[in-house]
Amino acid sequence: MEALGINLNLFLAQLINFGVIVGLLWVLLYKPVQKILNERTARIEASLREADQVRQQLASAKRDYDAEIARARKEAAEIVAQAQERAKAQEAEILKQARSEADRIREEARAQAEQERSQMLREAKDEIAELVTLTATRVLNAELKATGHDKLIEESLAALGRQN
Amino acid sequence: MRFLVITVVLLAVAVASRFFLFSGDPHVEVAAEKLFSIGGFKVTNALFTALVVDIILVVLAWLATRNMQLVPRGLQNVMEIILEALYNLLKNISPKFIDRAWPLVATIFLFVLTANWLGLVPGGSSIGPCMAKEHKETARLALVEEGPKAGSIALIPAAAEKHNPYTTCPEGTSLIPWLRPPSTDLNFTFALGLLSFVFFTYWGFRTLGFGGYLSKFFNLNGIMSFVGIIEFISELIKPVALALRLFGNIFAGEVLIAVLTFLVPLALPMPIYGFELFVGFIQALVFALLTMAFLSIATTGHGDEHHGGESAHGPDASKAH
Repeated sequence: MEALGINLNLFLAQLINFGVIVGLLWVLLYKPVQKILNERTARIEASLREADQVRQQLASAKRDYDAEIARARKEAAEIVAQAQERAKAQEAEILKQARSEADRIREEARAQAEQERSQMLREAKDEIAELVTLTATRVLNAELKATGHDKLIEESLAALGRQN
Repeated sequence: MRFLVITVVLLAVAVASRFFLFSGDPHVEVAAEKLFSIGGFKVTNALFTALVVDIILVVLAWLATRNMQLVPRGLQNVMEIILEALYNLLKNISPKFIDRAWPLVATIFLFVLTANWLGLVPGGSSIGPCMAKEHKETARLALVEEGPKAGSIALIPAAAEKHNPYTTCPEGTSLIPWLRPPSTDLNFTFALGLLSFVFFTYWGFRTLGFGGYLSKFFNLNGIMSFVGIIEFISELIKPVALALRLFGNIFAGEVLIAVLTFLVPLALPMPIYGFELFVGFIQALVFALLTMAFLSIATTGHGDEHHGGESAHGPDASKAH
């Protein structure tokens, strides 16, 4: 044993020395390294998760945007269609109004013409009657001397009325 | 052709260098030598080197972790790479116990590696104080000068040692190198082996229970009782094997380099230095891996193995039916 250098004191010294260095390295090296490795793992995992979230958010934003655009487009088309419809309806309404106005004007014109005509007739009749009376009076003034005068007028008038 | 000539000439010069580069007898001492005493406690160069290794490791650890960054750079990065690779390697052996064993096995690897490589630092084995020779029954390698084996190197008793004319040490003293890898000191390797043994045996008892662990070795189970006894013996041999493997490999490397440097001082020891760097790394790794493997074995009961076997065969058996 002596020739091999084995010695209890030295053995214990090596044992204690190694135990001490295990403890020292544990505190000084393994723990900090383990901590930083764990931290890095956590950080990378969080980053990957975050990237995934961002990707999802982006996708959903794109979806929202597309949906919004499609809706806007549809709405615009609807508005245009409505406007066109309304315009058409208005056009029809205007046409209808115009037509009825024209009808009314025509009707009025006709009625007025009718009225004027009948008035004219009446007036003409009166005038004719007066004229006839005057004429007859003048003609007959000599012959009849006012006898049967009125009767003749009435007969003339009746004849006129029948003619009308 | 020219390359060949140059190689041959260089080899010839290397071999001939023995005759103009004198180094004296190779310094090979099986026991670690005393450097100084502190209150009666003699500090050997192996223990001194162990303390140097402590300092190197602590300083490296401090430098690597004093300003930890999430994006690692420099020494922190190197340390992280080494530790992470080692962690993953050891985790494959015993994923369940890696976190409990980690401080011990990682320190075994780092300490033994640093110690082994420190022994290869040029000058490490040739610089030191001159100490008076202790007359004790030690043996050392030296050049045999008389008799039929003259000119060869052999293990000769320390008493027969002659004064080495190529050192600066005065007559009656010899050079004691400051640095000697602790792995070439049986005190250290046995201390490490015992620590490893106590560690994996403790976890064996704790995991399998007192009776459970002992029943691996002592049971009345036919042939298994005999196998158990063999396993018990092999269990006791594990720390000894660990200690002697480390000591043998590193000590042999030191001897090889010392002898080669003595025989062919020029060029030839260079590849051996490279090889010893590799051996030093492998032995450090082997010690750590074996500690982990023994831990894995110690914490696995016989029952577990059977269950494992059954579940492995289970699906096939059900298919056969």
